[in-house]
Amino acid sequence: MSATTESPRGTKLPSALPQRTHDGARRQYIYLAVGLVVLFFLPFVLPESSQPVLVRTLIYGIMAVGWNLMSGYGGMFSFGHAAFFGVGAYTDAVLLTNFGISPWIAMIIGAVFSAGVGVLIAYLCLRYKLAGSYFALATFAFAQMFLLLAQNLELVNRTEGINIPLLPEDSWAMLQFGQDSFNYYWIPLLLLAAAVAVTIAFVYSRPGRYTQAIRDDPVAAESLGIPIMKYRLITVALSCAITSIAGSYYTQYYLFVGPEQAFSMHVSTDAIVPAVIGGVGTIWGPLIGAAVVGPLSELVAAVVRNPPPFLEFLQGVSGLDVAIYAVLLIVIVVFLPKGIYGTIRERLRK
Amino acid sequence: MNRGVRVTQTSTETKEAPAAPPRLLDNRQLRIAAGLVVVVGAAVALMYLFGGQPSGLLTQSLITGVLLGGVYALVSLGLTLIFGVLGIVNFAQGAMLTMSMYIVFFLATEWGLNLYLAAALTVPVMFGFGWLVQSTVLNRVMGDSTHERPLLVTLGLSLLIINVLLMVFGGRPVSVASPVEGSINVIGALVDVPRLIAFGGALAVAVALTLILRKTTLGLAIRAVAANDVGASLVGVNVKRIYAMTFGVGATCVAVAGGLMVSFTSLVPSAGEQFTTLAFVIVVLGGLGSIPGALVGGLFIGLVQTVGSLYLPGSGSLLLVFGIFLLVLFLRPQGLFGAKS
Amino acid sequence: MVGLTACSGGGASAGAGDTIAIGAVHPLSGGLAGVGGMMNDGAALAVEDINEAGGIEALDGAQLELRDGDSQGSAQTGQSEAQRLISEGAVALVGTYQSDVTENVASAAERADVPMVIDVAVDDKIMEQGYENIFRIQPNASSMGQAGAETLAAMGETAGVDVEKVAYLHIEGAFGTSVSEAFTEEAEAQGIEVVSTVSYPATNFSDATTQVKQALSADPDVVVVTGYYPDNVLVAEAVQALNPDILGVFGIASGAFDDSSFPADAGAAATNVLSANYHYAATSERSQDIRERFEEKYGRPMETAAMLSYQAVEVIAAGLEESGSADPEALRDAIANTSIEDPLLAFDGPIEFDETGENKNATVIVMQSQDGEIEQVFPEEFATAELIFPARDQ
Repeated sequence: MSATTESPRGTKLPSALPQRTHDGARRQYIYLAVGLVVLFFLPFVLPESSQPVLVRTLIYGIMAVGWNLMSGYGGMFSFGHAAFFGVGAYTDAVLLTNFGISPWIAMIIGAVFSAGVGVLIAYLCLRYKLAGSYFALATFAFAQMFLLLAQNLELVNRTEGINIPLLPEDSWAMLQFGQDSFNYYWIPLLLLAAAVAVTIAFVYSRPGRYTQAIRDDPVAAESLGIPIMKYRLITVALSCAITSIAGSYYTQYYLFVGPEQAFSMHVSTDAIVPAVIGGVGTIWGPLIGAAVVGPLSELVAAVVRNPPPFLEFLQGVSGLDVAIYAVLLIVIVVFLPKGIYGTIRERLRK
Repeated sequence: MNRGVRVTQTSTETKEAPAAPPRLLDNRQLRIAAGLVVVVGAAVALMYLFGGQPSGLLTQSLITGVLLGGVYALVSLGLTLIFGVLGIVNFAQGAMLTMSMYIVFFLATEWGLNLYLAAALTVPVMFGFGWLVQSTVLNRVMGDSTHERPLLVTLGLSLLIINVLLMVFGGRPVSVASPVEGSINVIGALVDVPRLIAFGGALAVAVALTLILRKTTLGLAIRAVAANDVGASLVGVNVKRIYAMTFGVGATCVAVAGGLMVSFTSLVPSAGEQFTTLAFVIVVLGGLGSIPGALVGGLFIGLVQTVGSLYLPGSGSLLLVFGIFLLVLFLRPQGLFGAKS
Repeated sequence: MVGLTACSGGGASAGAGDTIAIGAVHPLSGGLAGVGGMMNDGAALAVEDINEAGGIEALDGAQLELRDGDSQGSAQTGQSEAQRLISEGAVALVGTYQSDVTENVASAAERADVPMVIDVAVDDKIMEQGYENIFRIQPNASSMGQAGAETLAAMGETAGVDVEKVAYLHIEGAFGTSVSEAFTEEAEAQGIEVVSTVSYPATNFSDATTQVKQALSADPDVVVVTGYYPDNVLVAEAVQALNPDILGVFGIASGAFDDSSFPADAGAAATNVLSANYHYAATSERSQDIRERFEEKYGRPMETAAMLSYQAVEVIAAGLEESGSADPEALRDAIANTSIEDPLLAFDGPIEFDETGENKNATVIVMQSQDGEIEQVFPEEFATAELIFPARDQ
């Protein structure tokens, strides 16, 4: 980790010194390891019926970590991460059902493929200098086109979607277990941990610091000789690959994927909401956001289903659970401008 | 604040008048409009000659497309103001449309009002709603350089509106009968009268909006804020108040749209959702904050979708719409009627 | 770990005075909340009726309990709700209205070996996965297309009208396509030619004039329509406006044409519109009584979908009576062999499931919108009013 040599004005780059960087990253890795160990034992203390919520939370977590790389650290606000999630989900489904390829391999192929698609989309958007809302709308339009394409392509079974056939017994190679198996929780937990590790490595690496410099001041970064396009595309590729893995795992857990499950606008917001609520552009924000958002709608629904006595009149009113969820979402976004983690960190620093 | 392309535009054109909402068609825009008419006209002529479709069907699809375009324009007019002035990607646009349709439904059925009277009463209600949303909630999330917070708030707002409507009115489809029914025949094609009225409404709203922006002090203030909010506040404009008024005016346009569309809509809480996405396409296509742009963009998309469906069945024509949208974003991000940056 | 997880689903064992939980998964919020809520009410009414009549006799009068799950219209949420209900001890599931959600809920039920009775969901593919625990009461898409063609031919014959050419207008996607393809195949066998087939998009569809005109340009005798509620209302309105010289509009598995909201919603355009669909048996006294009580209790008419949810709960209750056990596996076997003699729907015979889990006797009958009411008009044995065909002034 030597200082920049190719840039004569290297001192002006985001000035985390190599030694501090090293320490900072090491501390984050330690946090990650501790968190992983704690979370590993979570299924033993929670009731069995919480497994679907835990898994969904982890999938949100992976998506949000992926989105955060591109939009939080890279400053390219994507409103179309459904495209990359869906590519992962469908790659897995198509390779498995048509060619019997193991989901683990399909996951890697999907990630590479998705990264390629993402780089292509981002290149077009950046090449034509789209930024801000325009960049968001362009990514949104791509995701919508993927949705329409999936609905019309015979290869992916059009609107019918693809079922993953049930296997008679557990199989690690084909990533299928009994419905209640803890493996369904541990696997995405490890995938999420890997995604966070990648984020940490990236954030403290030179490309990561360049990317943040580009986000903060593209003009200055360019004048320093940083190849803007290159570092942005690296960020996009990482982001899309991680999101794609969430998609592949989605297919394996739910055993069914159709156009709506893969590419609808809701998928994109599922990636954005946890990251924004937790804290954009932070390592831990998306995880904290996912931990809040994942169970939130479930908790609200549970309260509405069996309300405390003074709220009994609310029981069975359809739509109430989602309405409450929407209010909570608005309140968090309005009152915690930097997200839960970002706001807390800011308070602590003062 | 960062409003994508518009920022560069206002920062590089400091000496010129604000480019976004205020203009009627000026010469340049007239040229663009004329060019568009020629291109579309030529395409239509080619289709009549070599399109391989019966001419009666083609005529019908053109007329249907224009009328549908009127509906799209109606929904987009409010959005172009909100997006253009506030820079907010308002994902609650469709839900607000549904909301105003339900208010019209309520007034028409519970109070027994005439449909158009009910629509007129909905206008101040929606203005108040828009004003309230902006001044209590959205004003708090504006101003930073990122877009995700306003976007998430409007997404949450959309969920909230839809589900409150569901709680109040239930999810079964309801309908409001129009006092004017039926259709008229124009050169062998059918023109549905309520849709024709909606088309007229779109033109009327466009004219009214242009007049408000050009002739009133509110309009002046809105234009000033759109061009440079910091500058406007320096010369004594209460920017947050203008934001709230702008969102209110945007919601008013939606109220008119809802009033005119309710008679040909099967009303369920999610009825307006499908318009949100297309409205964004239209607003960007026409040029952010451009009123003629929203009109022309609406017509263009309506035509593409309807005529396109003759050749690309099912959702194929929607693919075409998004394809055009991306091309415009890449090649002419300021939109057809936006100022060149 | 295995010990912790293996007991799911089978955990419920009912004895005297116990309650037996049945899980219902429907879209209680989101765009389909109207119909989803109504279906949930239908299932709840069935549970109430069974409990009032003394519960499950074979289990010493054990009472049923309906636990709701809200799919929110999403497959993912539907599946996690199903898993939650199963792990909370539901011995059987009912649901879900949408085909994609049903795919997910069915796979969850199959993996947990808990029987599921599908009330509404039309895709053929759901039952083609080789699942052993899944049963469906309503006819599937292709059998409705086929039965629709047979019925149209028979109806023309009865009315003494020649139906030679039809135009088919259907919603894009698996549902519309499979109904229309099955119809076309059977129609040819019946000597009816499908002269044009036009599909329209499932989203961003707010004016049907062009598509209807396109379908009409082949000069058909009848316009056949398959789709959901709002789009089919648009189609009926466009046909009315274009005022073509046809014998009538004939829906197959249409989400609108036999819905009680349709006549008021479409106004004049609804006049005499025909609809071949699975339908509650308006001629059955039991079904009339249920519908009256439903409307009294919930303040809205009970559509066929809710009747199917009611029926699905009855099928599960019948399974419980026959097996005398709340063990899901025994229940599954009992449902597979059950025979419900007096179905609440206008079917060809008792509800009995074939080896794939489809109801052998599920079929369609023809309704017609007459003077603001939906009447059953064909075949004769289910008729509540006389068939008007040709359905339009020529």
